[in-house]
Amino acid sequence: MTQPQLVIPSQIEVPTVKKHIAENKTAIYAINCPEYEVVRISFVFHAGTVTQLHPFTASATANMLAEGTELYTSQQIAEKLDYYGSYFDINIDRDYAYITFCCLSKFFAATAEIIEQIILHPTFPESEVVTYRNKRKQQLSIERRKVETLARENFAQAMFGKEHPYGISYSEEQYDSLSSEILREHYRRCYTAERCIVVCSGSISDEVLDCTQRITNQLLSQSGSENIIMPPYDTTHSLRIPHSGAVQSSIRMGRMLFPRTHEDFIPMQVLSTVLGGYFGSRLMQNLRERNGFTYGVFSAMVNFQQAGYLAIATQVGSEVTEQALSEIAREIEQLRTAPIPNEELELVKNIMAGEMMRILDGPFGIADVTTENILCGFDNSHIQYNLERIRQTTTEEILSLAQRYLAPADLVTVVVGDFE
Amino acid sequence: MISYDKTSLANGLTVIVNRDKASRMAAVNILYKVGARNENPECTGLAHLFEHLMFRGTHQVPDFDTPVQMACGENNAFTNNDYTDFYITLPRDNIETALWLESDRMTGLDLSEEACLIEKRVVIEEFRQRYINQPYGDLNMILRSMVYKKHPYRWATIGMSPDHIERAPIEDIRDFYRRFYHPSNAILSVSGDFQPDKIFTLAEKWFGGIEDIAYPIDPIPQEPIQTEARRVEVERDVPATTIVIAFHMGNRLSHDFFLGDMTSDLLAGGDSARLYEHLIKNRRMFASVNAYISGDVDCGMFVFTGQLLPSTTESEAEAAFWDEMEELKNGIISDYELEKVKNKFEANTLFGELNVMNKAMNLGYYQMIGDLDLINREVEIYRSLMREEVADFSQRTFRKENSSTLIYRAKQ
Repeated sequence: MTQPQLVIPSQIEVPTVKKHIAENKTAIYAINCPEYEVVRISFVFHAGTVTQLHPFTASATANMLAEGTELYTSQQIAEKLDYYGSYFDINIDRDYAYITFCCLSKFFAATAEIIEQIILHPTFPESEVVTYRNKRKQQLSIERRKVETLARENFAQAMFGKEHPYGISYSEEQYDSLSSEILREHYRRCYTAERCIVVCSGSISDEVLDCTQRITNQLLSQSGSENIIMPPYDTTHSLRIPHSGAVQSSIRMGRMLFPRTHEDFIPMQVLSTVLGGYFGSRLMQNLRERNGFTYGVFSAMVNFQQAGYLAIATQVGSEVTEQALSEIAREIEQLRTAPIPNEELELVKNIMAGEMMRILDGPFGIADVTTENILCGFDNSHIQYNLERIRQTTTEEILSLAQRYLAPADLVTVVVGDFE
Repeated sequence: MISYDKTSLANGLTVIVNRDKASRMAAVNILYKVGARNENPECTGLAHLFEHLMFRGTHQVPDFDTPVQMACGENNAFTNNDYTDFYITLPRDNIETALWLESDRMTGLDLSEEACLIEKRVVIEEFRQRYINQPYGDLNMILRSMVYKKHPYRWATIGMSPDHIERAPIEDIRDFYRRFYHPSNAILSVSGDFQPDKIFTLAEKWFGGIEDIAYPIDPIPQEPIQTEARRVEVERDVPATTIVIAFHMGNRLSHDFFLGDMTSDLLAGGDSARLYEHLIKNRRMFASVNAYISGDVDCGMFVFTGQLLPSTTESEAEAAFWDEMEELKNGIISDYELEKVKNKFEANTLFGELNVMNKAMNLGYYQMIGDLDLINREVEIYRSLMREEVADFSQRTFRKENSSTLIYRAKQ
């Protein structure tokens, strides 16, 4: 039978985001979708790894917020949250720490009491710090037996430099120096009103909002938020890390670019999608479908507050490592020499529009996008701008961006594998 | 609560619809009742390899992904021991594109020598990436081979070895398609803002013309009752020793399934659960612990697993697990604790019903296990379970002669 007609969405409807300012000036953003009987509240602090003064303190502080507070032990907190079927997620990246709570609407009040303890009154008990560092040390040593972990860490170092806050990694042993005092110091310095935004979604009644405001208001206020000054990059363009016994090599290739606020960001995202951002991408077609070198290969724009890069990542059979590298280089060169066919560009645009629609279908996804926009200094009108900017990208623009940004001399390549 | 309407086409295809008025997306799920348990022991990994081949295009649509993506859609699939599942999410207005593509690949798949050869290489790389080039990658394979001696659950979905995939004859692959990929062996489920009748009409339009030739499906060899404790010790280049103790338990529709699920929640459902509290926090014996049920359609496994801290000996770790089992057998479970796991189950069920894809997928799954209505009864069943039943389940299940213990030792 014949192919059905397609409808390509030209706009994405998003519910309005209401902004409230707490007395201590912290902004609270609320996306009310009363048809869902759940509540989600995210506290985002500028408390990522770049803000830490000792190895692993940023992640340890975030991950241990619920491991003991003024009123409750970690066990009691876990009990209470589990009792109501509520849960929380901690995410940390180089710049920010995200603490997100989810609960059924009917258990919000009970959950809020615990949120308050976790966000405002963590104590980081020494005994819990010991458990935590033993556990994480072991996990990290397991992670570092994997070629992909080694590739990821070495790639960040190669890009930014071994000592750069966006590139640095630490030995497992450095977990041993973590102490309750160090974490408390980090908490006092970074979990403050000036460094925080709050995003609520789901069924946001007045009661939910009042309660969130009451918690947020108690965040300590510091005079001003420090601006982190980044050292210059110290880039190594090619790095080979031997890992004996590996049956696959992990490859990372990329190019330092710019953060999300840059005018070329969206068209570069289109370019990166063409290259390796979807299942039928050029790299996937070449490395997986035509050559069977790999189970998967991806490229994406990676963002930080003050930087950004394009990265390609894959794991390939050890014996085909060199071939895979030259095929990746060939695909990049292809983008620099021949304009991409219109059909392919249309396809990629539709994929990206579909991806946005999928993320924005449901209250939690809308909250995530809202958070990302706010952190970049945008509001949600950026969603429509984004969609239109994707639509406006032309094959000429892609070609000229590839020529400008993907010169072979500017690429960074890291390979971890068995080279014997 | 997931509301649904269900019908069957004349060719045997089951069609289920959930109406979600809040979403602007549609999820289209198609489940084929075939998994690794339907494979020949000499040629394992075929069900999963076949899932890959379903994306290699047909005579009419040489490339499956492109039309999905042109329609702003996304698609993927997975295979397990019991079934193979394909799903597409896309803007509501483009639902017919999904139905067109699924109906097309139910009959016209291009199973050329070349397509099979390339896909085999991809799957072998997947095998290496996930099971060989990975610390603890072969742990579950060893465990399965210990727990099951007859039942095809004794091999993992990926297959027993890369050789099986490499050697799979093209005739077997083509035969697999004929035997398992036809309307009466499939379930189509849709979630989105649609009138159910509209979806039934569309299903008839796109699938109604497909002829159904049903083949007798070989009975699956059932696992004999285990009568003595099993034990395997291996040594690998991993940083920490892991201990696994597994037990046979009931099938997906048995009352024991719910008891097993709840018991595993008592032990490991969240950070306040017993294993984490007792063995990581209080006794500091493990770096990580878990207890879970495998959740298979046929009689499955109840599994304890833990990664030892360097200061813990293997026998201490094993004994610690048995101590936990002993407490459950004696019914030392408070009302509060029971209420907690029940609340948590209810909340997780609700969180799982927030998006169209989960709903479409779950509808297909419950239909496949043979009790669609169970999708809305499970919370109630959990609510009704009692302490004495958990104790009884533990006594019947956690017995030495029903156990398989795997010591996965870190090389010094």
